[in-house]
Amino acid sequence: MKILAIDTSSQSASCALSDDGKLLGEFYENVKLTHSQTILPMVQQLLATVRVPLDQVDLLAVTNGPGSFTGLRIGLSAVKGMAHALGKPCVGISTLEALAMNLWGQDCLVAPVLDARCAQVYTALFQGGPQGIHRLREDAALPLDQAEEGLKNAELPVFLVGDGAQMCYNRWKEHLPQLRLPAPALQYTRAAAVALAAGLPGHPPVEPQALAPAYLRLPQAERELLARQAQIETRR
Amino acid sequence: MEYLSHSTEQTEEFARQFAAQLRPGDVVACRGGMGAGKTAFARGLARGLGLTDRVSSPTFALVQEYTHGNIPLYHFDMYRINGLDSLYSTGFFDYLEGEGVLYIEWSENIQDALPPGTITLTIQPVDEETRKITIEGDRF
Ligand SMILES: Nc1ncnc2c1ncn2[C@@H]1O[C@H](COP(=O)(O)OP(=O)(O)OP(=O)(O)O)[C@@H](O)[C@H]1O
Ligand SMILES: [Mg+2]
Repeated sequence: MKILAIDTSSQSASCALSDDGKLLGEFYENVKLTHSQTILPMVQQLLATVRVPLDQVDLLAVTNGPGSFTGLRIGLSAVKGMAHALGKPCVGISTLEALAMNLWGQDCLVAPVLDARCAQVYTALFQGGPQGIHRLREDAALPLDQAEEGLKNAELPVFLVGDGAQMCYNRWKEHLPQLRLPAPALQYTRAAAVALAAGLPGHPPVEPQALAPAYLRLPQAERELLARQAQIETRR
Repeated sequence: MEYLSHSTEQTEEFARQFAAQLRPGDVVACRGGMGAGKTAFARGLARGLGLTDRVSSPTFALVQEYTHGNIPLYHFDMYRINGLDSLYSTGFFDYLEGEGVLYIEWSENIQDALPPGTITLTIQPVDEETRKITIEGDRF
């Protein structure tokens, strides 16, 4: 089964093509260009390079969040458009799960962190091992210090991945000696990992119109909402 | 930096000159009430950045992109933004990653989300035609 995967969910953008688990090719960029300008030419060049026409792709995979508002919409629209035109199914993969896949098979904890600004991160926790990778904590939007708190007392090395990895590493390393950063090639979301995840059980394909972004409400937005509700209550 | 403007034209000209000191990635947070001259200032700013696009108030579009020139200018109007959720869905945080200058009307509404290093612009009406313009920031 041929899977075409794309990721435009955060700072970097990439696309990959796999066939029955074998990675046939992958393109990746991390320059400050608008993903809407780079992703489709990248897909075109990738398919031309590996000599697989688009209509031979069986499944389209995309990171569906959390992440950048604009980035998620670019990736989802691109995949929805292609899947709809080709009449092929598609699948949304958590950006944080895709990031954790970068440390597939390693004996360690993996904490993906995406910079959500205003001292907040999107994060989750995974454990790597002989079985690949498995999830310990659900995707969440947390204030930085709460995310840090959650990694205390870890008994294994904790690898930080994602576009917030370097920032969190710098802020937290004093208090969390078990923190590690992987090689630069493993720090950002890779479409190869999205394709890998899409081929595993637990990710049923859907019709293109069912594909939707998984935005997570930021803690600061939650506080604002509660404050507004309280205001309405007191006015009653 | 402080300037006393006596006409719309003077405000635009001052903004045009101020633009020469801006660099890609700069964020200019503007404050000043209704009709203070924030959009007038944006017109001068765009001209100073060598942009030929037509500048108008992005009150309903929330953001307008001016890209025909030297440095892109992203012109926001946060008048209707009332929290982090609505701010996120303007794509504001994505523009912060970019290489343009951000100019934000009604920045009072997103005070907590302004990045470090933000340049603050205050336009204070003195009388019908007079405005006191104050610019604060590390480089000003
Ligand atoms: N010295 C001055 N500088 C700028 N504008 C002036 C000046 N004197 C008079 N004006 C007038 O004030 C008005 C400013 O309008 P503008 O749309 O720029 O305000 P604004 O601050 O963007 O308002 P809003 O809050 O509605 O977005 C214009 O009609 C302009 O001609
Ligand atoms: Mg205006």
